[in-house]
Amino acid sequence: MAARMKLKLKTVFVLYFMVSLMGLIYALMQLGQHCDCTERDLPKDRAISRLQEELYRLQGQIRQLEKLKQPEKQPPKASLPTIFVITPTYARLVQKAELTRLSLTFLHVPQLHWIVVEDSPRRTPLVTNFLMKSGLTYTHLYVPTAKERKLQEGDPSWLKPRGVEQRNEGLRWLREDRRAQPGEDGQQGVVYFADDDNTYSPQLFEEMRSTQRVSVWPVGLVGGMKFESPVVEGGKVVRFHTGWRPSRPFPMDMAGFAVSLKLVLTNPDACFDGEAPMGFLESSLLKGLVTVDELEPKADNCTKVLVWHTRTEKPKMKREEALQVQGLGSDPAVEV
Amino acid sequence: MPKRRDILAIVLIVLPWTLLITVWHQSAIAPLLAIRKDEGAEGKRETGGQDSKEYCASDKDIVEVVRTEYVYTRPPPWSDVLPTIHIITPTYSRPVQKAELTRIANTFLHVPNLHWILIEDSQRRTPLVTGLLRETGLNYTHLNVETPKSFKIRGDTRDPRIPRGTMQRNLALRWLRETFKNNTSQPGIVYFADDDNSYSLELFEEMRSTRKVSVWPVAFVGGLRYESPKVNAAGKVYGWKAVFDPHRPFAIDMAGFAINLKLILSKPQAYFKLRGVKGGYQESSLLRELVTLNDLEPKAANCTKILVWHTRTEKPILVNEGKKGFTDPNMEI
Repeated sequence: MAARMKLKLKTVFVLYFMVSLMGLIYALMQLGQHCDCTERDLPKDRAISRLQEELYRLQGQIRQLEKLKQPEKQPPKASLPTIFVITPTYARLVQKAELTRLSLTFLHVPQLHWIVVEDSPRRTPLVTNFLMKSGLTYTHLYVPTAKERKLQEGDPSWLKPRGVEQRNEGLRWLREDRRAQPGEDGQQGVVYFADDDNTYSPQLFEEMRSTQRVSVWPVGLVGGMKFESPVVEGGKVVRFHTGWRPSRPFPMDMAGFAVSLKLVLTNPDACFDGEAPMGFLESSLLKGLVTVDELEPKADNCTKVLVWHTRTEKPKMKREEALQVQGLGSDPAVEV
Repeated sequence: MPKRRDILAIVLIVLPWTLLITVWHQSAIAPLLAIRKDEGAEGKRETGGQDSKEYCASDKDIVEVVRTEYVYTRPPPWSDVLPTIHIITPTYSRPVQKAELTRIANTFLHVPNLHWILIEDSQRRTPLVTGLLRETGLNYTHLNVETPKSFKIRGDTRDPRIPRGTMQRNLALRWLRETFKNNTSQPGIVYFADDDNSYSLELFEEMRSTRKVSVWPVAFVGGLRYESPKVNAAGKVYGWKAVFDPHRPFAIDMAGFAINLKLILSKPQAYFKLRGVKGGYQESSLLRELVTLNDLEPKAANCTKILVWHTRTEKPILVNEGKKGFTDPNMEI
């Protein structure tokens, strides 16, 4: 009896041991199969994402503090060419509003250098303070337009070309500044002329970053049409789709092209001609730089509209003017 | 001697089981816990799902990739501390619509904890707006309600008797009341933002501390450089600096005030009046059901700074399109 019991016990033990061992092996094999980097690392990821949130919040705080200081010029990353945006601006009621919403768009674009040129005999405090708080990398220039070239009250906007001296000043500064920066990296970049009342989508700037000579794309709400655009066939621009004077050498809007920095630097005399007839301003710069055949079409072979030539209404000031006659105008110390 | 053998036997029995149990414990319980926490915390985060895909990569790559995405193309990460700003924007189809929505979205992408409620004045949601909203990456709600033609503005003249966007704003208010229960713990601020105005980022931080209704100056309204509430030395609003009917109960523009969500939810009957509203009284038709003058909180340094401009975009001249339309109608502008 005792012997049989012993035997049974032994077999029980052995069986038990084998079963548990097999179970263990099975479990280990199951785990081994998944490559569970997601499952096993999830608790660590919670910690990582929490820390990242903290980091972003702190970064946001730092940016808020740095808005009070002028941001330093950051050395351009080797992979990303800088986009130099030249914006002429002039004092009028909606200036601060326009610059504000323009800057909020530019803040989405990495490696952007904003060159703001005021039509003014000196730098105004409004633009100076605004640029300081904007958080962008910028250069603040100014050049007044000669009186006879300026539009008078009541003149239609197309009568005289606007912003010519300011854009040329931007080009001049750029050439001077880049000459002082030796090395291949300093010559990489794209130059774009952005008016302060247009609307830009951040994607446009990514499209223009790869410009080798001059790149072009459609512009919405310009030329009396829903959009103006180069016509692309076989990857090349063959003609232009425009409703107004298509015989111009480059019948497109200021917002519809970008020039590579290299081209600007190697053609030191290329600038806008203020005497050019209406609508020929863009051509006056481009004809010395590139031929239609060399144009690089962007925005999906010029099938997408990424920039709109919006114009802002002049706000009605009838009541303000009436009040000011009475000496009761709104507080001029409040900056609008 | 039997004791040692017994001990050995016990150890041999227990060892595989403990190993088994610990291994199963680690692999089975941990993902369950994580999933439960996941659903709770990341319910609202749009970007969270995309980021977790990067976690299998090396540590160096995670920081680089995510940081670039955040800084330039995505809204800031959702914070559990900040009240949500619900922005109600009515919109309607016209040539400049996509441009306006693009630049206003570029502004909103800088504001943390922002929820954009966009209501189209149309019979159904248009693909233009649907696509735009999806591409921005913002936290949004897309609604639509068509204003019956009898209420619409005739031609281009601004007929002040028919306020534009009223039905759309009311729909958004109703949506908020249906979505958030009265005793909701989620703090929120409601702001009516038209798609052609210009906003500074400071404005949104000012309105975040609204307890009932906060107010501030707005530029280019009422035929003035700016209209503003009058604030006394005690920091209370006692009147309105306006020329156009300064005796309105609330002589303020739609862009000049924000309401705490709790107040909206606690007064479920408060809506913008649709019919019989005199020009300039639309804002009053809602606010008088919510607050008195005394309850208003002045912001923007006691109403001395301009943080929002009532800009209007010119109607583009499309003469060269001609009767049949010169340009490709399939190109979305």
